[in-house]
Amino acid sequence: MRTVFRLTLRQLASRRRLAIIVLLAAVPVGLAVLLNFFLADEEDFTEQFVNTIMGGLMISLILPIVVLTLATAAFGDEVEDRTLNMLVLKPVSRLSIVLPKLLGSITVAAPLIVAATVAVSLIALPDGGVRAAAAASAALLLGVVVYAAVFTWAGLLTTHALGFGLVYVFLWEGLASSLLPGVRYLSVRGYTLGTLYGLDDVTFRSIGQDAIELRAALIGAVVVGVAFFLLTVRRLKRMDVP
Amino acid sequence: MTASSGATIEVLGVSKWYGSVVAVNDVSFEVHPGITGLLGPNGAGKTTLLHMMAGLAKVSKGEMRVLGQQPRGGHGLYRRIGVMSEHEAVYTFLTGRELVELAARLQGVEDVKAQVDWAIDTVNLADAQDRTLGTYSRGMRQRMRLAAAMVHDPEVLILDEPLNGTDPRQRLEFERLMRELAARGRTILISSHILEEVETLASEILLIVSGKLAAAGDFRAIREKLDDRPFKLRVVSEQPRTMAAALMRLPAVDSVSIDPDDSLIVLSSNVAELQRSIAKLARDASVRLYRVEPLDDTLESVFSYVVER
Repeated sequence: MRTVFRLTLRQLASRRRLAIIVLLAAVPVGLAVLLNFFLADEEDFTEQFVNTIMGGLMISLILPIVVLTLATAAFGDEVEDRTLNMLVLKPVSRLSIVLPKLLGSITVAAPLIVAATVAVSLIALPDGGVRAAAAASAALLLGVVVYAAVFTWAGLLTTHALGFGLVYVFLWEGLASSLLPGVRYLSVRGYTLGTLYGLDDVTFRSIGQDAIELRAALIGAVVVGVAFFLLTVRRLKRMDVP
Repeated sequence: MTASSGATIEVLGVSKWYGSVVAVNDVSFEVHPGITGLLGPNGAGKTTLLHMMAGLAKVSKGEMRVLGQQPRGGHGLYRRIGVMSEHEAVYTFLTGRELVELAARLQGVEDVKAQVDWAIDTVNLADAQDRTLGTYSRGMRQRMRLAAAMVHDPEVLILDEPLNGTDPRQRLEFERLMRELAARGRTILISSHILEEVETLASEILLIVSGKLAAAGDFRAIREKLDDRPFKLRVVSEQPRTMAAALMRLPAVDSVSIDPDDSLIVLSSNVAELQRSIAKLARDASVRLYRVEPLDDTLESVFSYVVER
């Protein structure tokens, strides 16, 4: 598994891809600095920050797009350039291919997302934001893992995984979950918000109305993550490899 | 384990379809140790067959066995077979050595360094092994991919168009290597759409046309059929009518017609004899020859002829 993991890291860490995701992760940090500079004295600053930067930007946009960019490429690049057969024509189980691919995406995405989360929390939240930073990091890390499982599967399912992922993020996670509250229980954004609120309901009280219970969020995240991981293994076993 | 007939690869009534498109239609054959050529024009179904053999594609109907096992029955078979696919894509960010090492590690080879050294030396790429694959020529990539396919010294090698992009010297080297492996009892199945590529190498051939097995067996017998086929040539000369009359006197010529552009279309069932005689014939008739070119020497026409026979 280490061999495939190392290969995946090198595949994903191309200069262009890294530049894109570092820029994406820097956007909320930059905005946090600006908000802190111009609006820090306002009474509802924390609430505005939590809703705009953490809930609106980090969790709804930056997190899924960064993971989408990486996880769809974990298999997608190999399907597209037809190098996947170099892995599947070897005496290794499909699970031993999928797991390091998934871990590779998480390994590249997680430090960036966590670093951006810690940075915005420390910049803009009261009392140094240490507790909030820890809660937000844990919640977003959970989001990274579950999104990675979903998008790794998508990368193996279709050559249009990026488009598929964007439609999923904006229509299902964004639109459908805001119109139909029940969808939050079937949404990675819902699990991330639920975990965030469950871990620190003081700093993040303004997202309380959108958040599902912590227990439901954790169970949902585990079920969806494991289900998509197994679906990816199944897909790799059954598909015709180009 | 091999079948009782000694066949290492058994294809039993195999078909493969994609939606309503039939790529391979009820094909049966056996492959034994030694070198076997899988020939056919582009789009004939060779790659689909090899993909099914390698377990990359599902069989729609029929049965496929490699070393007695179904290719999609489990990944253990890959310890015993080596596959080089048609697509020349590689991880361009890896060096040549890293590619072969990747294959060796995934194969569970015990002495990775020794086996990688052996495979790279065998394809004569030791000097270039530390360069990234993105800087390799097409032929070099093919050879390094071959090294990766055989680094675990497999019993069966399935090679899809392995000679694409190689130069004549590399082909000779490749032939030597394949013969050496065959002499050690390995089974080597090589696909190609170029007859001459396989002619010097494979004693047995399988000819696939339009998804069906058109011929199978000894290469020489099939080659004789090919040499007997009527051959169409275009002859461009200074005086086409005089040249046509001279050509009609040759026993090797079946018919001659004159095109509107005054070139001659000659049909011959003994092209070798015609090739020997045509220059002298023109000289004797005091006609200047400008051009003699084959009109139907495409693989499709050659293969179609065999199928019609």
